[in-house]
Amino acid sequence: MSGFVKGVCEDLCPANEAKLRIKEKLLHYFEYKNGQKHVSGKLVKCFSRSAADKKIPRPQDMRTEACLQRCVEYLLKDIVLDTRKPFNIVYDFIFDRLRSVRQEIVMQDYNAGQTIKLMEPMIMFLCYSRYRLCEEAIDNFDPKICEQHLQECLKRALVCYDEIDIKKMNLLEIRRRIFVESLYQMFNLGSPEAMKRCFTLDDDIKLDPLFALVFKICLSYSQGNYYRVFNGIQSLPHILCAIGSLKLPILRRKLYQLFSHAYSSKQLLVPVDFVLRLCAHASKYELFEDCKYYNIKLSEDQQSLHFQKSDFKNDLPVLKCKQEKFVNVKIKNIYLPEILLLKRI
Amino acid sequence: MFGTLNNYLSSVHRAWTNGDGDTLASYISLKDKHIMNRNLYVESPENAVGRLLESPIDEILCAHLKVLYYLGLEPRDFMQAYKYQSQCIQSVVKMLQQLKEENWCLPVMYTACLDLRILAQRCEEMGNSSKPGEILEKAADCLMSCFRVCAADNRSSDSETKRLGMLNLVCQLFKVYFRINKLHLCKPLIRAIDSSAFKDMFPLPERITYKYFVGRKAMFDSDYKSADEFLSFAFKHCPKNFPRNKRLILIYLVPVKMLLGFLPKKHILERYDVLQFHELAEALKEGNVRKFDDVIQRHEIFFIKCGIYLLVEKLKFIVYRNLFKKVYLIKQTHQLDLNAFATALQFVGETDMTIDETHCIVANLIFEGKIKGYISHSHNKLVVSKQNPFPPLNTVS
Repeated sequence: MSGFVKGVCEDLCPANEAKLRIKEKLLHYFEYKNGQKHVSGKLVKCFSRSAADKKIPRPQDMRTEACLQRCVEYLLKDIVLDTRKPFNIVYDFIFDRLRSVRQEIVMQDYNAGQTIKLMEPMIMFLCYSRYRLCEEAIDNFDPKICEQHLQECLKRALVCYDEIDIKKMNLLEIRRRIFVESLYQMFNLGSPEAMKRCFTLDDDIKLDPLFALVFKICLSYSQGNYYRVFNGIQSLPHILCAIGSLKLPILRRKLYQLFSHAYSSKQLLVPVDFVLRLCAHASKYELFEDCKYYNIKLSEDQQSLHFQKSDFKNDLPVLKCKQEKFVNVKIKNIYLPEILLLKRI
Repeated sequence: MFGTLNNYLSSVHRAWTNGDGDTLASYISLKDKHIMNRNLYVESPENAVGRLLESPIDEILCAHLKVLYYLGLEPRDFMQAYKYQSQCIQSVVKMLQQLKEENWCLPVMYTACLDLRILAQRCEEMGNSSKPGEILEKAADCLMSCFRVCAADNRSSDSETKRLGMLNLVCQLFKVYFRINKLHLCKPLIRAIDSSAFKDMFPLPERITYKYFVGRKAMFDSDYKSADEFLSFAFKHCPKNFPRNKRLILIYLVPVKMLLGFLPKKHILERYDVLQFHELAEALKEGNVRKFDDVIQRHEIFFIKCGIYLLVEKLKFIVYRNLFKKVYLIKQTHQLDLNAFATALQFVGETDMTIDETHCIVANLIFEGKIKGYISHSHNKLVVSKQNPFPPLNTVS
């Protein structure tokens, strides 16, 4: 096939683009040397939409596979840990630069194996960022766009996995695949469409303890056993746990709704500790905020909740996601680049 | 049959000029006897056909004879045959467009479409497509081109309109979409049929097939009431001499019915060789979780293959409900200790059941209306209604 250009550039940013952007002062904060103004440091090729009026890129404007790999590693190791700017700025930069990597994967028509290697860390990064920035204001972070890209990357990876014979993958590659397949399931919790995929998977994946746990969580969700979903999510590892925790607001709402029916009474009360234990909130004050929002009354001594069917506000939108203590503890204990780059799982 | 090519072609000519759709259809069918006749295996039949037949039937016949040629090769070349069968469909589309205000030719379209789908399936099975499902998807596109012509024919009178051919095509398309797992593509077709004025005038066999598929679709969309209605129609009207089809319908109808609170009779399951459901129903009736899990595990492959695994797993809460009802009947009181439920659950196999989870399960059953009552947390008791605390499931919405 001659229709595809093969990259030859070994720099993270092709010379042409670098020259132009330095001249026009179009550098990002992270591209200046030590944050100094006007002194350019390490540039990374930025994303630009393909459009009809654009010329077909030349080989020297595209990077080699090894170079793309280096680029992903640079972004997810050096930049992701950079604390000079708030994380939403870090995210914007990495998101854009990874997008251009993704564009080159398509333009250079990489095969399934090549694509997966580059795509897996991107998925990890998007998952991590989706959680880390979930409390950010919409001006700083758009969860919709992040999720769209995440879903697209996940599906792309799944298609590639299907092309590769699992018997030809080594152990680490299989571990990575299991992790990504699990992310897909947790990210799409509640979708029968996604769950159908579980049945098509090879035993190497299906029987893996981590994936089996994820499958159980999904099954419990479809059965309506939310107790097990809450518990299951809390026992997942780091990033997977983070993605699972994004579903907690929906689950909590479901739980309050069930309880508003089952414990509905004018006199009877339900202890706060009991509900707190189930809903995975770190403190009762978080629970109280939920209750205030859904109009569940609190006793005067703040020890009990007063559920009533007619009080519960059914038509309110689900609360926004927030960072959860149990997730933060898990994430604090990992060395982020190692996990994002799937060096260890 | 027919002896020579010319004989065959003149028979086609007669059927064509007589406007005899059924006979003409049999002449281009890959199930008809004439395909055994080696004289008809012609690689380039254009001249012979051109001498005897006029447009547009000539193109259809050329394509058909080429299909025969490639199927007659040793080994058979299904890919080429498929290619010419899709060409045949394109010519059929032309014919449909030319024969305005008449629909006698519909059987020809049915036959050509059916053969195309079966050839595409064969190609898929032999691993000819680069991505699984690709050939079938292309075939579906071909069928859609016929569908569009039929659906757009709204000027002819009711008895001569090609819209009467829509349902046959829709059934073919459903078969493809279910096979390649693209259920979302069914939606516009369903809308087209349901809004059609001929909804109840289509032939019964087609309506049965249609209901079977929309029933399955409703099932996947968790709309069990409609699924029950559609599948029941299909099962009731499907004639006895099609036991294989009846069995297929039953595989979906039974779990849907069970979810709605109806248990299947053993002799019917036996007759159609789906006793797996009998075991499931027994466990369900007893409220025996261990047995229920065991049945699902033993027949896992069957349930997954039929695409009802998730559905039968959903029956679990009904197992819980039945177990709780047993506890209620033993205890003979309206105030039931939740510890008794937890113990019962542990006894039937949920060994890691905690009291918190028991609360959640009971809460869910109350929410769904499967138990009438409320929980008093401070007393750790479920207080059930004096009237009908466990309403029959078929009355619960």
